[in-house]
Amino acid sequence: MRADDPCLKQMKPPELSLADRFFLPQIAVGLGVTARHIAGVMFRNKAITVQYPDEKHVPSPVYRGVHRLNRDEKGRVKCVACMLCATACPAHCIDIVGATAPETWPDREKYPESFVIDELRCIYCGMCEEACPVEAIELTGLYDLTGLSREQMIFDKAKLLSVFDATSNQEPMKYGKPPERALGSPTTELAPG
Amino acid sequence: MATIIINGVEYPIPEGEKLNAIQMAKRVGVDIPYYCWHPALSVVANCRMCEIEVGAKDPRTGEIKFLPKLVPGCQTPAKDLTVIATDTPKVKEHQRMVMEYLLLNHPLDCPVCDQAGECGLQDYSFHHGQAVHRFVEERAVNPRKEVSSGIQLNADRCIMCTRCVRFTREITHTGELQVMRRGSHAEIDVFPGAPVDNPLAGNVVDICPVGALLDKDFLHKQRAWFLSKHDAVCAGCATGCNVSAEENRGTLWRYKPRHNPHVNDYWICDEGRYSYKAANSPDLLTAMYLKEGEAHRPTPVDQAIKAAGDRLKELAASGGKVAAMLSPFLTVEEAYLFARYIKGLNPANVLVLGPVPVKGEDQTFTPDMTKGRTGDTSFIAPRPFTIRAEKCPNRRGVAAVLQHFEGRVLEFGDLLDQVKAGGVKGLFAVSSAVEPWIDQETADLLRGRLDFIVVEDSILTPLAHQADVVLAGATFAEKAGSYVNALGRLQYSAASLPPRDGSLPDLDLAAILLNHGASPVSSKAILAELAAEIPAFAAARGAQIPEYGIALEGASAGPADAAPPFVDSWFVPQGAARMR
Repeated sequence: MRADDPCLKQMKPPELSLADRFFLPQIAVGLGVTARHIAGVMFRNKAITVQYPDEKHVPSPVYRGVHRLNRDEKGRVKCVACMLCATACPAHCIDIVGATAPETWPDREKYPESFVIDELRCIYCGMCEEACPVEAIELTGLYDLTGLSREQMIFDKAKLLSVFDATSNQEPMKYGKPPERALGSPTTELAPG
Repeated sequence: MATIIINGVEYPIPEGEKLNAIQMAKRVGVDIPYYCWHPALSVVANCRMCEIEVGAKDPRTGEIKFLPKLVPGCQTPAKDLTVIATDTPKVKEHQRMVMEYLLLNHPLDCPVCDQAGECGLQDYSFHHGQAVHRFVEERAVNPRKEVSSGIQLNADRCIMCTRCVRFTREITHTGELQVMRRGSHAEIDVFPGAPVDNPLAGNVVDICPVGALLDKDFLHKQRAWFLSKHDAVCAGCATGCNVSAEENRGTLWRYKPRHNPHVNDYWICDEGRYSYKAANSPDLLTAMYLKEGEAHRPTPVDQAIKAAGDRLKELAASGGKVAAMLSPFLTVEEAYLFARYIKGLNPANVLVLGPVPVKGEDQTFTPDMTKGRTGDTSFIAPRPFTIRAEKCPNRRGVAAVLQHFEGRVLEFGDLLDQVKAGGVKGLFAVSSAVEPWIDQETADLLRGRLDFIVVEDSILTPLAHQADVVLAGATFAEKAGSYVNALGRLQYSAASLPPRDGSLPDLDLAAILLNHGASPVSSKAILAELAAEIPAFAAARGAQIPEYGIALEGASAGPADAAPPFVDSWFVPQGAARMR
């Protein structure tokens, strides 16, 4: 694009008045802003910070925090191991081992034998969620992610499913039916997923 | 000169070849989409994807007249004054309609389908199809079934191109597969108790343009776009089939055939197809060893090589004769460097060819123009495919190197005779085989009569347990170099895996022992050296090896010595698979 392109809108910085060029009046204006905020917090309860961890901030619904692996209506892992999330991932933090689905799942061809996300390497861009064709991987609003070692921050399939069990009441799945049975108690017959 | 007009441009037709419109258009860079046609199979024209406008030019008036209907390109001969149009609105509309029709019952399970990323249906949907689906009825769901112990058929993905059926009838002449029932109930199937178990069965998976026929060995393991492809040569037998070795994260996942009209045409045998597994074996040597007393101690690579080199030099200086065994699994470059090293120590040293594994008999499939053929065969150049009994890739190449240095080719039996006669003091066995090649008895015999034994190998053999120095070498997947196949064709095989920890490819080992200078040593430079020195390799002078290899002096006539024909697009890396 050229500098004289008619599509370009030319902008100029505002002209400074004489008072602006002395700076001192502007310093007073700035101090005034600070004083207004102090007064707002002290007398009108307008603080935007919270007393963490006594109070928890609730992020917006589109916040991208820790991943979870959703379950289908039978409580099995929804993921079909297509590896599109691993393909889309710019940080290469997803590692999936696919396998042929067990005989007891006639409606399914493939499932993830192992599904591992390195939460330390992840940049929380949400591309995996965008890429997923079955809405199996979602980013939750959990932001207080801590661990005592690097190994603890590498989430396997069981842990990612437990994130789903822990968050599915507050943040229901965007698509599809939720599992029918009580959450967090998959029975032995569903052991593979 | 005969000319053809394609999309308004006149092109000369190559002499002496019988091409159809698809092949001719491809030569000049015009793609005509197709599914059911395959250059090695007869034309049945049942997918209707390649239909184009065909006409003729009147030689006197120059007037062009088109046929009123579209004609399949696979059936249209490229002959003088033919006019074809592949980009008219009529053709485009037809391609869009055929795509919609093929996708009526095709399940949209690309995410779990192994063919995704190298699928003809995906590629052509993208180029010629449409995004909407007007079919409101339920899709037909056909069951998954097994057509053999290694091949699964997902019948609902099938588009009834019948390539697999024609392959079993026309190439292997076994005819296990057929179309059952008719119309929209048609299904590919086998008779009960008659699975597709011929030695070339795996090829039906490769020629399937969609994900209907699947190799269970690879099923659900990797996605096609993760694999890096390396142009290798199969080391399973002396045919030297061209394969694409597909690797991801340090593991070899599969072999797919590469087209070479002089060697393997479009096929590979199942034995070769699954021979890649040896390269992933957990039993491969991962360290070099020195013998101390009765035990072997793992030793750093440089020390082990130095120990072997020093001791061999001492032996040579004291006048002791050393024998070197060069196995037929070595590349010609490696054989050349090892031979030069051993002969450089002492010209009296002996070079012998390692044991040549032979299993069964040669098995040749000879498709011809008539047997099993059901359709139009006018564009086919049938080529035989042979599975050799000689289960090593390079007997001929190593023998040619030995012939040059030794003046004759001594067999492994001759070595044993010489050892028994007591003329030999030391042995340098370079094996690099992936299967055991020596028994305990022979190893004991060699140990009992020799002062010093160095073994270079990729697996542990009885001789390695007895050796003074064990050098860990590369498997067929870890080394780059040239092989001479049974017909005398020199072919280059690229490395598909990095060397294992603790090992060193044989070419580097030999270069270090020889103090060759160049580091790291390149197989191409060595091939140039050897071609300049050994007359038998004169054809490879300059080490410029073309895609289909070089016929060395004295090579027997191959299946095809004409110009390279059309390459079926399923054998060319497609779409995303090409990007990595």
